[in-house]
Amino acid sequence: MKIENTKAQMRKGVLEYCILSILENGEAYPSEIIEKLKTGKLIVVEGTLYPLLTRLKNAGLLTYRWEESKSGPPRKYYELTPIGKNFLKELETTWDDLVKAVKLTRRAK
Amino acid sequence: MNQTVTVNISGIVFHIEVDAYEELKKYLNKIRSYFKNSEESEEIMADIEARIAELFNEKITSENQVVNTNDVDEVITIMGKPEQYVDEDEEKEQSYSSNQRNYMTAKKLFRNPDERAVGGVASGIAAYFGMATIWMRLFFIIALFVGFGFLLYIILWIVIPEAKTASDKLQMRGDDVNIDSIGKTFKEEADRMSDNFRKTGQQYGKKAEVVVGGFFNLLSQIVQGILKIFGKIFGVILLIVGTFWLVGLVSMLVGSEMVFSITSDGIFSLESSEFFNVIFVSENQFHLAVVGIILSVGLPIVMLIYGGVKLLFNVKTHSGVGVGLFILWVIGLFMCAMVGIKMGTELSQDETIVTKEIISLTDSDFHISASTVDNPGKGILEDNYSVISLDEDSIYQNYVRLYIEESKTDSMELRVIKSSGGKSRKDAVNNAKMISYSYSVTDSSFFLGNYLSVLKEDKIRGQQIKLKLYLPVGKTIYLDKSLKYILYDVDNVTRTRDKKMVNKKWVMLEDGLTCLDCEDLEGVTSVQLDSIKAYKPIIEEINEK
Repeated sequence: MKIENTKAQMRKGVLEYCILSILENGEAYPSEIIEKLKTGKLIVVEGTLYPLLTRLKNAGLLTYRWEESKSGPPRKYYELTPIGKNFLKELETTWDDLVKAVKLTRRAK
Repeated sequence: MNQTVTVNISGIVFHIEVDAYEELKKYLNKIRSYFKNSEESEEIMADIEARIAELFNEKITSENQVVNTNDVDEVITIMGKPEQYVDEDEEKEQSYSSNQRNYMTAKKLFRNPDERAVGGVASGIAAYFGMATIWMRLFFIIALFVGFGFLLYIILWIVIPEAKTASDKLQMRGDDVNIDSIGKTFKEEADRMSDNFRKTGQQYGKKAEVVVGGFFNLLSQIVQGILKIFGKIFGVILLIVGTFWLVGLVSMLVGSEMVFSITSDGIFSLESSEFFNVIFVSENQFHLAVVGIILSVGLPIVMLIYGGVKLLFNVKTHSGVGVGLFILWVIGLFMCAMVGIKMGTELSQDETIVTKEIISLTDSDFHISASTVDNPGKGILEDNYSVISLDEDSIYQNYVRLYIEESKTDSMELRVIKSSGGKSRKDAVNNAKMISYSYSVTDSSFFLGNYLSVLKEDKIRGQQIKLKLYLPVGKTIYLDKSLKYILYDVDNVTRTRDKKMVNKKWVMLEDGLTCLDCEDLEGVTSVQLDSIKAYKPIIEEINEK
């Protein structure tokens, strides 16, 4: 069992939650999302994000609109759908529970 | 000076160095191959390309308008290699939903030098199809008996290269191969080739590009189609053969009135469950044998059918299945071996009981005939007579043989020898005693039964009847036609074969048994005729007496 794998697994679990959280405050395009995720060291390479976004969009949690960009091709601006908002709320509760559980467990040591 | 190409990424035009272009193309193709089968692949690719275009755009300045390999390397570092971000769960999900692998490292057919019985052909093929080697070996062994196995093996041995290097061996095991992935590999190969040709074509004009590219696309599609069809045909064949054998096996064990051909002139029409019953010692042993046969013979058949279905419908393989089936198969073999050993001890001893009949000599010809009536049971037939058959309480066997030899004394004697196998001498004697065999002897004739019978509870234990007739010199006998199947390797001066000896008069002379009326014998060679003529005076002399 490699430590890297376990770390990656842990990050992966919260990645979707974090993407949805970033979009909670309003729409964003992939590069912006990547910036925020990178500062939190949640992703290492950008390629990770695109399949995830597409999947979340196809699951009905996200929607996007096109916007022209001065620095390159048009950008996709993603935002949460009502389903996505509910989804996020549930994830938030779950996350809080998890954090509590982890804290409790660590204190119990 | 570096050559550059112009590319369009997400609607933006870039000048890019040829080397950098190749690298970028390779990178994009790799990503594409990872997402190839997911429905979202087009969209993901478009997003990724858009981001790459954005990144390139940032690098381009008025001084440096050309994208070089450094830029591409940087972009690849930022975006990451596909294996870094396609997580395993996704792969599995997708491969379940589409029954295909999303990526593959090309798998190649090699002979496996590490696991070889003869040339490593079977284990190589097994590795290629991701199955246990034993099934492939079994296939070749069966094929050997069917007749084409030897040639097939030799051809494959010659055609398939041996896995020599480590990478050969890796490729030998590679990913699962099914018809789609074989087709896919070919398509990728053809795509690469058509790309190469397209590039060359650019130097000669657009026409060549279209023609050559189109040609390779068409070719790849045709070959893919042919591969698919062959795979399906092979699958159908496996399915048919497997089903046929399975039906045969099941009906043999269930014992419905199935007709099997066992020899060229014999037909098996015995209810086989009944047949097994008279062989095995106990119900338990019988069941053990049946389960053993089902496992050891049935499982390979099931694997055939499974293989056929897999080829036809692209069923996903579960790796545990092969191992499990193999273990069951070994257990089956073990059970058969146990029964076999038990049966062996059951027949380890042979004993005989001899009844002597002394016949008083008269001048008349002695007439020997046998019953021509088939026994009352129902069973295995040969030339319309039962070899082994059963009725409600008896087993009938036609193991009756008549030997004719010269008597050492002046008297004529018939010895009826009953013999049987058994697990001990006592047991064998008992078994021999239980044989009932009917014959009648008078001063001028024998009438011999053509079968022996034992009670069902005595089982088949190699019972046989040997009849030895000792003829004194000068005695004449007439062998009736009905003895055709009973006469066994009877020596005579003309070396006439048993089946031709019947319907004739024979006399025992000092040189051996001699025919008295053989001139009309069909198929007699001139040498034989000469020897008959040489005996003529002696025969006449005897006749005069």
